[in-house]
Amino acid sequence: MAAIPKGKEKPSAIDQKRTEFARYKADVKARGKPFYPYAMFHDTIMSLVVVVVIICLAVIWKWTFWSPLHDPTHKGWLGPGVDPPADPGTHSFVPRPDWYFYFLFYLLRIFKWPESVFLGTIGVPTIALVLLIMLPFLDRRRTRKPSQRPVAMVAAVLTIVSMGVLTWKGATAKEALASEVQQSIPQWIKDQKLPPAAIPGAHLFAVAGCTACHTYDGAGGSNLGAPDLTNIGSRNLGIATQIKHLQDPSSVTPGSPMPSFKSLGIQRLHQLAIFLEASKGKQ
Amino acid sequence: MEPEQPSPDTEQESLHEEAHLPPPTLWPIGFAIGIVVVLVGLVIDPLLISSIGAVIAIVFGILWARDATAELRGEPVVVEPERRDSVEVDEATAADQQGVAETPVTRSVFLEGATLGLGAVIGGLIVVPVAGFAALPSFLGQTVQKVDLGPISKFPVTKWFIATFISDPSEGEVSRQTAFIRNNGPVANPDNPKEQVPSFTIISNHCVHLGCPVQANGPTGLKFTGTPSFKEHTLNGPVEFESVIPAGYGCPCHGGQYDPEGNRIAGPPVRALNRFSYEIVHGRLVLGAPYSVSHVVGTGATAQIYKYKMAGPGQHVDGPEQWFYPLQPPQNQ
Amino acid sequence: MTTTYRRKPTKGELRRQKMEELVVYPFDWLEERSGLIGGVRYFLFRNVPSDINWMQTLGSAALTAFLVQAITGVILAMYYVPSADLDPHTGQPVAWESIVNITDHLTMGWLVRGMHKWGASVFIILMFLHMGRVFLFGAYKYPRELNWIIGVLILVMGMMEGFTGYLLPWDQTAYWASVVGINLNGTAPFLGPWLAQFLRGGQVVSGYTLTRFYSLHMLVIPGAIIGLITLHLYLVIRLGVTSPPWSKDAAGGEPEEEEARQLRPGLTRPVPRPAGASPMQAEPGGRE
Repeated sequence: MAAIPKGKEKPSAIDQKRTEFARYKADVKARGKPFYPYAMFHDTIMSLVVVVVIICLAVIWKWTFWSPLHDPTHKGWLGPGVDPPADPGTHSFVPRPDWYFYFLFYLLRIFKWPESVFLGTIGVPTIALVLLIMLPFLDRRRTRKPSQRPVAMVAAVLTIVSMGVLTWKGATAKEALASEVQQSIPQWIKDQKLPPAAIPGAHLFAVAGCTACHTYDGAGGSNLGAPDLTNIGSRNLGIATQIKHLQDPSSVTPGSPMPSFKSLGIQRLHQLAIFLEASKGKQ
Repeated sequence: MEPEQPSPDTEQESLHEEAHLPPPTLWPIGFAIGIVVVLVGLVIDPLLISSIGAVIAIVFGILWARDATAELRGEPVVVEPERRDSVEVDEATAADQQGVAETPVTRSVFLEGATLGLGAVIGGLIVVPVAGFAALPSFLGQTVQKVDLGPISKFPVTKWFIATFISDPSEGEVSRQTAFIRNNGPVANPDNPKEQVPSFTIISNHCVHLGCPVQANGPTGLKFTGTPSFKEHTLNGPVEFESVIPAGYGCPCHGGQYDPEGNRIAGPPVRALNRFSYEIVHGRLVLGAPYSVSHVVGTGATAQIYKYKMAGPGQHVDGPEQWFYPLQPPQNQ
Repeated sequence: MTTTYRRKPTKGELRRQKMEELVVYPFDWLEERSGLIGGVRYFLFRNVPSDINWMQTLGSAALTAFLVQAITGVILAMYYVPSADLDPHTGQPVAWESIVNITDHLTMGWLVRGMHKWGASVFIILMFLHMGRVFLFGAYKYPRELNWIIGVLILVMGMMEGFTGYLLPWDQTAYWASVVGINLNGTAPFLGPWLAQFLRGGQVVSGYTLTRFYSLHMLVIPGAIIGLITLHLYLVIRLGVTSPPWSKDAAGGEPEEEEARQLRPGLTRPVPRPAGASPMQAEPGGRE
């Protein structure tokens, strides 16, 4: 294409696009290959792969949950056949959406200030969707080469990475479900070589919701800046300080968001303190 | 292959070879109806109806025969042209056409308007009931059923229980709910300070962030709390009461935390946990409609509960954000 | 029909001709009365750029996944019962039981249900990959803007389909994921609470929610998806598929150079072309 000579009026952007498209159409007509069988052959191979993958997933799913006990609620490699029936009055279940919604789910955990809740639920997803729909109007340049579209490429990489990270974090978000944490207690006793006096405290620690914010020997999740408590005993804070802290956390650690556990009663707080002081880390 | 063309010398012959078509006539239809009536009459009432049918058939038959033989008898046959060409208008109808031609826009505009208008009416007749049916039942007729939880004497004072009950027996399992209940002991009646009335704290376990089931943070059961759990057979069916010592409540979905009175301590919940209203009927605890709470000051029997109309999860009831949710759908009455 | 033979056609050749006419006859009959055969021929034998890439099979792969979903879904609907009521004999919800029945007792029920369950994930993954490929190729630009928008709508509809379908087994995961998902919609300002109550069919998730989601999952959303896919395919056929943008032999040539050279002098190396040459001419020694 010859350089446009000076003085000649440059065609408008839309006219340039139309010319290019007309040229493309003519080129395809002249030099293109027929869709059938060339392109359709590739499509058919790919479709076969898709169907085979779907069937394989279904077979692996069924075989791994069914084999051990012939019980559909058993969790195989790809999850159970069904969960127990819906119980609207449950108080021990951890809801999760299907995996392709994990990025939205984790977004909700990020926006954890009450004033910002609607940003995580509606605000950010709506803005993202609007940007996605408006893309052809935001990017009107004619060039399609990735090397000549730096903004688009950077935006794409950022989007893919952030959605991937959000999905991964959503998938691995751990919960402090009392029944599940309790199963870790024997492991804790072994790892920490806990004396018998510390065991009632270990049980209380598992069910009182401590693992909602604290991590301990691989269990629990980290929330609101709560420290890991696996080695808390090695700081030798003493039983009295531990009890005082549990009764009124901000008196020992100013500004702490930890709630008071006073209502457990002094006897149980004492048991918890013994457990915490005995937790000197993996022996 | 060439198409066949009639050669001039065979034209004469072909005219004679053409089938002789009878002049157009509508009488055969009446004749056919007559025959049908005869046959029907044979089934229903031969005397009356078949006779009527026979008369009809004969009358129309004669008329048909008369038309068919008109040519033979030499009478002129009047055949109306099948199309009226708008160009060839005879003088008699010219005035008529002129009247129409003067205002041609009005007629077509009227037809357009009528078509669209009638179309809109038909659309409305179909869509309004359907949309109404899809939308309205979700909003109208929402009622709350009272839930009987058994005699208040069964609730030891200051002990918490996790109560699981069916709120509407006619709906069954789908209406199962859980609440955290504590008997606060007797308190002075605000309307009549000399009287002592029972006081209960009854907190719903639906998280007010996005509705996940909230868990009690604390030991449960007789072995760890020292208080026995029990089951009560009430008018709402069996109700389970599990003893618990809650240091607070936590939501496993996104990390919301509440204190034992239901106030939000940490995380995304936008207000305090909802509570149930209640009344004491014949010494039994009966739950009423739930309501929303922004926060609670104090604890137990003397707690000040800032009460609002029931709102859905994630919706603020006070502060500037409440104006995002000015109108709530019809609630439990 | 004029065919020139060097000699009279043999009986065999005549018979062959007659057979061909017989086979072609129904197609011609249909074509004369509908034009459909011509449409199918156009679709099959239209030209596409000669340098298209394997990445460009993702769109039809997504369509295959959707067809798998549609077919397995129709079969599952013959055995699934969308009722949250309890079976008086077993005390379990009827919908849950029908799912257990399909998975455990009915012949190959586990396979069809498994294909449907995993087909949903595969469908969504393929849609995202396809969207990524279209973005990479810049195939959302003129004149394909409308097609991009339709594609995004199909993606959103697909995810809504997954959301409504998730509730149908009526087990714990299904129930609570739907409670949270609906409440999420409820936090939208002004109309949120109304939308949430409409989706639920009441104030709490109940049997009405299940039947409502079933209707959406079976009828409303698939109808929308099928309509949108039809439009999407029509536009693909009408507007053509692009060559990979980095292809040396891209259909339509490389006009972007001009813009690039004027905008960012020195950053791109212009390909030397004889003055006045049209990009349509095949390069010497190039492809056929």
